[in-house]
Amino acid sequence: MTASEESRPTTALRAASSGRGLRAVAPLLLVVLSLVLIFVGERLAPGFATVANMLQLLKLASFLGLAAIGQTVVMLTGGIDLSIAWVLTASAVVFTGICNGEDANIVPAAAAAIGVGLGTGLLNGFGVVKLRISPIVMTLATNNIMLGATLIYTGGTPSGSSSPLVRALATGNIGSIPAMVMLWCLLAILTVVAVRYTRGGRMLLGVGENPRVSYLTGIRNDRVIIAAYVVCGFMTSATGILFAAFSGASFLGMGDQFVLPTVAAVVLGGTSMFGGRGGYGGTMAAVFFTTILTTVLVIGNIPQGVRSIVFGVAVLAAILAQRFLTRRDDRDQ
Amino acid sequence: MSTLRISRFQIGDNWPVLVFLGLLAILIVLKGRFTPFDVRSLSVNALPLALIALGQFLVVLTRGVDLSLGPVASVAGAVMALTITSHPVLGIAGPVAVGLLAGLVNGLFVARLGMPPIIVTLATMSIWQGVALLVLPDPGGSVPADFQAFVTGGFSVPTAGVVGILACCVIGTWLLSSRFGLHLRAVGGDEQAARMSGVRVPNVKILAYVLAGLLAALGGIYVTTTMASGSPTTGDGYILTSIAAVVIGGVPLSGGRGTAIGVVMGALILTITGSLLYFADVSSFYQSIIDGTILLAIVGSGATRDWLRGIVAVRA
Repeated sequence: MTASEESRPTTALRAASSGRGLRAVAPLLLVVLSLVLIFVGERLAPGFATVANMLQLLKLASFLGLAAIGQTVVMLTGGIDLSIAWVLTASAVVFTGICNGEDANIVPAAAAAIGVGLGTGLLNGFGVVKLRISPIVMTLATNNIMLGATLIYTGGTPSGSSSPLVRALATGNIGSIPAMVMLWCLLAILTVVAVRYTRGGRMLLGVGENPRVSYLTGIRNDRVIIAAYVVCGFMTSATGILFAAFSGASFLGMGDQFVLPTVAAVVLGGTSMFGGRGGYGGTMAAVFFTTILTTVLVIGNIPQGVRSIVFGVAVLAAILAQRFLTRRDDRDQ
Repeated sequence: MSTLRISRFQIGDNWPVLVFLGLLAILIVLKGRFTPFDVRSLSVNALPLALIALGQFLVVLTRGVDLSLGPVASVAGAVMALTITSHPVLGIAGPVAVGLLAGLVNGLFVARLGMPPIIVTLATMSIWQGVALLVLPDPGGSVPADFQAFVTGGFSVPTAGVVGILACCVIGTWLLSSRFGLHLRAVGGDEQAARMSGVRVPNVKILAYVLAGLLAALGGIYVTTTMASGSPTTGDGYILTSIAAVVIGGVPLSGGRGTAIGVVMGALILTITGSLLYFADVSSFYQSIIDGTILLAIVGSGATRDWLRGIVAVRA
């Protein structure tokens, strides 16, 4: 706790003068950029900007969006979760293995898969809080352990499949709107409200903003931080279950594509790396933005190498823009 | 009592060495023999990780972290594999220039613009991954056989790899005891105090990232040479492994502390676990579990003791 305080000597100053409106700049910028990209996409491929296509894009984005809920909550405490990759894969593998394509097995399969996420989240939180291991190292170690555990559990080849009901949720529509999009919106609203307006959410922001002040206010910092990692583990498992259903089967390494994009989305969305500032609204805008960016580049026949470069430059540009658009007092460090 | 005191005194910063020697002893017992060939394969396999981890170490000393080192190694290796057969000088100078440039970009963003290292290097990681795919879309290129023989050494006389590992220890230790090393540790220990003592903090940080880029490029050159061809994803495996090696080497991510020998031992430990499992006839599936457990055991041991002591104190 003392270490994190030393690195943020101007906390009191910042808290006194932080403008709420300015913090909305990052998400707004992303929304504007997304609109520009949609326009570009329509020029490249007429029909891109239709409602039906946008809903499909949102469906693609929803899996990253769900995983990013957990990452946002953890990063609001000033931590980071790198174990998403193999916790997600392990949950998916456990789910398809137990479920084995039968709707009747959904409950035990989901319980076991969610148990994987809750257990690893608890382990991460315990290591970070009680053993004071830095979050990067702790979650890296958990990730390695889950990688090995998954290989041993599956023997190298994941088996089983998701059941029709879960597949309907992951791929189907309710009316004309994809079920995943509705689920994502519902959970997003819940997250935003929970972080901004509930006691738990205020505690989360308090611990991230200034651990000592929150401790002196009577908040049990340890429990709040552990809870954040447990929430992240839960969301990771849920994403794993749904993504396996969406892909048709679970496969080794399916979680790798989520780790760094969730971190990038959280930071692009304006949440501070040092905790306490930001929220899920910005993350959601960033998830949408990165999904559209990738899709437009694919439509434009841009090779993967250039796509990767554009993604990196976009992240750099976005943090530069945030830096110059926010007031000096409001910046990190 | 005296044994306890001696062990505490001696272990100090040196326990990564002890862990490595312990694992090496187990390996020798399991295998029943230890030939120059084993020395060669261990040192040649560990050297790229040792180089990249040393670079990571310099950045971690400043309280930073560099996620772009792996992809920088990929680009360096790709550039080398494409050019060294036709232009030997360009084949070495090109990758080195890539490493220096990559480090400079990271350093400028982190030190001059004051951005969080993890985000800057996350972005440059993506950029260099893209560059590697553009330079060398498919695995390919070539490395002259005589250069390969020079860099990896013969099968009976395992000099090159061992010399490389020893050079990492010596040069790293020298660098840390130099004036720059002192400034580096000062910046990581307490940035404000360092600034007030006249250390040019931004320059020290930039130099740390530049040297890290250079070491990553050397790692990329080495691994590409041993494989005799380049691949756009050569370095991806080192992104997180280099951090693990640094931490297993006894370096806290909070900066300012640690030794180069520890980091090299971290790289050797992560390399030797693979051969250990092979000769113990255990499935390689267990390797990442063992690596993760070693990581936790090393980082968590002191803290676990404190935590248990805290519980006992509260209960008593």
